[in-house]
Amino acid sequence: MREKKWFPVVYMFAVTACFSSIVIGFSQFTSAKVQANQYLAFEKAVLMVLPGLMEEGESRLQLHETYVERVSEPDERSAGACTLREAGEIVAYALPISGQGFWAPIKGVIGVEADKKTITGIAFYEQNETPGLGAQITTSAFTSQFEGKVISPGDKPLSLERPGDELGMSDVHAVTGATQTSSRLEKIINDSLKKWLAELDEKSERGSQQKT
Amino acid sequence: MKSETRKIISDGLWNNNPIFRQVLGICSTLAVTNLLANTVVMCVALIFTLSLSAATVSMLRRFTPRNIRMMVETLIIAFYVIVVDLVLKAYWPEMSTNLGPYVGLIITNCIVMGRCEACGNINPPAHSFLDGLFNALGYSFVLLIIATIRELFGMGTFLGYPMPYFSGPYWDKWIVMVAPPGAFFTLAVVTWVFRSFEIRRENKSK
Repeated sequence: MREKKWFPVVYMFAVTACFSSIVIGFSQFTSAKVQANQYLAFEKAVLMVLPGLMEEGESRLQLHETYVERVSEPDERSAGACTLREAGEIVAYALPISGQGFWAPIKGVIGVEADKKTITGIAFYEQNETPGLGAQITTSAFTSQFEGKVISPGDKPLSLERPGDELGMSDVHAVTGATQTSSRLEKIINDSLKKWLAELDEKSERGSQQKT
Repeated sequence: MKSETRKIISDGLWNNNPIFRQVLGICSTLAVTNLLANTVVMCVALIFTLSLSAATVSMLRRFTPRNIRMMVETLIIAFYVIVVDLVLKAYWPEMSTNLGPYVGLIITNCIVMGRCEACGNINPPAHSFLDGLFNALGYSFVLLIIATIRELFGMGTFLGYPMPYFSGPYWDKWIVMVAPPGAFFTLAVVTWVFRSFEIRRENKSK
């Protein structure tokens, strides 16, 4: 039978069908878990950038519970950002940002105080930058620089300066050896912030017009 | 231990080491070795894929027509790699994001295809499994050495923990070691050192 011309074709179909069905079954089995993980990574990033929500050493489940309890989903007033509220008043925003990195999309969250100027933190939940170089944007050494920085009103809300340069109120140091990642990240942050601020302005103008 | 088994072990680990004798799987050696933790997981993934795919290829060797054997081998390898990828995504998402596309690239790792062709196609499953396992271990130990050197010189850390002296102010971190060129230098030096052991031994036995 092995000498028949049709045998290789049929054999290949059979083998492929067999292995694919195992893989499909297995991916069905894990898909719920994979999706939950992706969403959890986002929730964790939101908690990290909002002030006072993240406690060290909490399990994934605890993180999820804090998120559900404290964070409000995006609505009319926040222009696409998640919010932290106390007694109905917005205390801080967590704005999802995303864009193309060096290798693959970078997705993260940036936290802004209610004054829409002061940065409370930044965190990334999806990136594929070069390990050891661009990927250092996820380390606390890099992200902690953003805390307390102020969005400047000009064309560049925040800027990433060369390592070693002097920093102003809205500057942070870029990652050494990762110029591509840094400049792309700067663009992602600034584009998202500008768009969000413009939307917020529009919303609040419309809001005040309705009131009068 | 049977002498045949002993030969498989010594071939895989040293005499026919995939990295510095067969010079296979260099792409992943260059790509993942700048952090030791990533390298460890990559090695575990490769050990799993290589030993099981060699064994599976060997089980099917009597049925697989010769002219389509490479298609079948690739299919089997891809199957195991997808399983590894799914397991990481579901149960260890942090590592999955760290390794990114490299897990998927095990499919194109030349060692896996090379061992399936050279050993799995001809030998019984147990033999192929052992051959795959020890080739993967031989690959792993060279990779771990390279990763340790690169991480230590490039970032001053070992498994992410700062090391005395290297993380201090007297050590000017060699950024190039973490960047791709560092992999070429380290791989070349490691290969050179291991080959020179070998040459000395060959000279002695003459």
